[in-house]
Amino acid sequence: MIRAARRPLAMLTLALAAAAVHGEVYQEPGAFIAEVFGSTPAPKVLWLTRELQAQAAAILGHPPAQLRQRYWSDAARSVWILEETGKEELITAGFVVADGRIDHVRVLVYRESRGQEVRQSSFLKQFRSAKLSQGNRLDREIDGIVGATLSVGAMERMARLALLFDRLSHG
Amino acid sequence: MKRSTLTLALAAAFGAMPVLGQTVEEKLQVLQQEIDDLKAQTRKPAAPSLQVSPYSLDYNSMLDRSSGLANGATNVVGYGEMSYSKFRQSGDATADLTRFVFGFNHRFDERLTLHSEVEFEHAVVSADDHGEAEIEQAWVNYKLSDGLNFKGGLFLIPIGILNETHEPPTYYGVQRNQVETRIIPTTWRELGVGTHGLFGEGFRYDVGITTSFDSGKLDDPLTGMRSAHQEGQLANARNLAVYGALNYRLPGLLVGGGVFSGDTGQNGASNPALQGVAARFTIWDIHAQYRIAGLDLQGLYTSGTLGDADKVTAALFAADPATAFAAPKSMKGWYAQAAYHVYKKGNFDVAPFVRYERIDIRQAEDPANGLFQNPNNDERIKTVGVNFWVHPQVVLKADVQRYETDKTQDAYRLGLGFMF
Repeated sequence: MIRAARRPLAMLTLALAAAAVHGEVYQEPGAFIAEVFGSTPAPKVLWLTRELQAQAAAILGHPPAQLRQRYWSDAARSVWILEETGKEELITAGFVVADGRIDHVRVLVYRESRGQEVRQSSFLKQFRSAKLSQGNRLDREIDGIVGATLSVGAMERMARLALLFDRLSHG
Repeated sequence: MKRSTLTLALAAAFGAMPVLGQTVEEKLQVLQQEIDDLKAQTRKPAAPSLQVSPYSLDYNSMLDRSSGLANGATNVVGYGEMSYSKFRQSGDATADLTRFVFGFNHRFDERLTLHSEVEFEHAVVSADDHGEAEIEQAWVNYKLSDGLNFKGGLFLIPIGILNETHEPPTYYGVQRNQVETRIIPTTWRELGVGTHGLFGEGFRYDVGITTSFDSGKLDDPLTGMRSAHQEGQLANARNLAVYGALNYRLPGLLVGGGVFSGDTGQNGASNPALQGVAARFTIWDIHAQYRIAGLDLQGLYTSGTLGDADKVTAALFAADPATAFAAPKSMKGWYAQAAYHVYKKGNFDVAPFVRYERIDIRQAEDPANGLFQNPNNDERIKTVGVNFWVHPQVVLKADVQRYETDKTQDAYRLGLGFMF
């Protein structure tokens, strides 16, 4: 009887151990940046002057918490690591912008107990090639996920902010 | 000496960074603002609830430092709704702060979190008023990974669409739909333990063991088993229940279902006539939601049965013949809803909708004692209305409802809802 239970127990232990490794940090931001550029370039800084703060606040619905925004770029792309609260906690996401459009997005850290669907490729691929249109809004509708309304909203706001910051970083 | 050090520091600071068309004066303004903010912060007591911003917000943070997950942080969330109803037949009108809910969520460490919601209904709570104060949720979650969470406490049962996602800006209509009110008793919570998580691309499972209903507490003939759910209030727990749910979510799409089953006799704890009576209650649902090109489509079907319903009817009569009624023995309901986003600009979003609901609750009649089927348990409801979001989290609503059986419920309604 005990012997028969050993195998399922061992498999359950392995599954729990494997699950425990993943945690909530899907990818460290440093690793994301290195993946995009092949190495980690020196960070640059976008200074959020009062005018830029006002534009960022209009997107976020609240004043930006940062006054200097780090980013990483080469001749073709820029990378923005942004954070915004979903329902209860901050979501950390990496945005790669090329030629004024979102190249790709990844959720790096997701802290809430619900709504993790926003990190799935079926959701994130909607941002691909998105650009800013009138009023600093995205040029497309992002379909929501039932039960993750506020996390979806946070991801959309961060995408708009990354595109705005990218535009401003080019002077 | 001091001046030269400052000059060198500023030169190093500005020289090391790209100019990006921003003048030194603009940058000095930003620095001054940061200094003012820091000064203001030093005057305030430490705020443990502030969320840690490990990557983008703290300019001086090292990129390779380990992820801070805001341990010890407490967040406040909430939602609320109020309505005006004008009843067509009687001409009566009421205005009500239907509910105001606030919740505290606390992170103990990277894996352990607390989720809670406290609800006040109808604005005033006292012995002489209609208001209620209740704990809607209070549960602890231990997250091993997205795929494996364990939870314990008072939590929402994952059946239907509305029960877990019931904030006013997330649904159409001034009032919650009647199928997910009278048959699925939203907001339905039980004390228990469970596990939940994601697998594959878009699948979410939920399974667990909880407290069950208590048939001896039935006191409303029009809401199926709703009046027998115990809400964690000194719940009789001789009989427990099991639940399971599987949902598939993609952007714009939800397909899923859930089931809950448990005995409800509670060995006669609240009605001695139910001693030794199982009175098993089982309810299940399937639901779907699809959004395409501004069109929102939603549908749900649910069905439930109560075993030993005739014995429950007899027990209710034995307890109090004056208030007794025939217990529900089976219940079915479904609805179909369509909405179309006709106007969207900035935060403004306008979507008219139509909904058709069917409710069919069959009761275990006892003709000898004059307990019969209530005709209002066979109902069809048509609702036509509009949701106007002035912000994704704040909605104005208006609708007209027509009941095919209970005409006294026909009404025009206005509503305001919010969540944060």
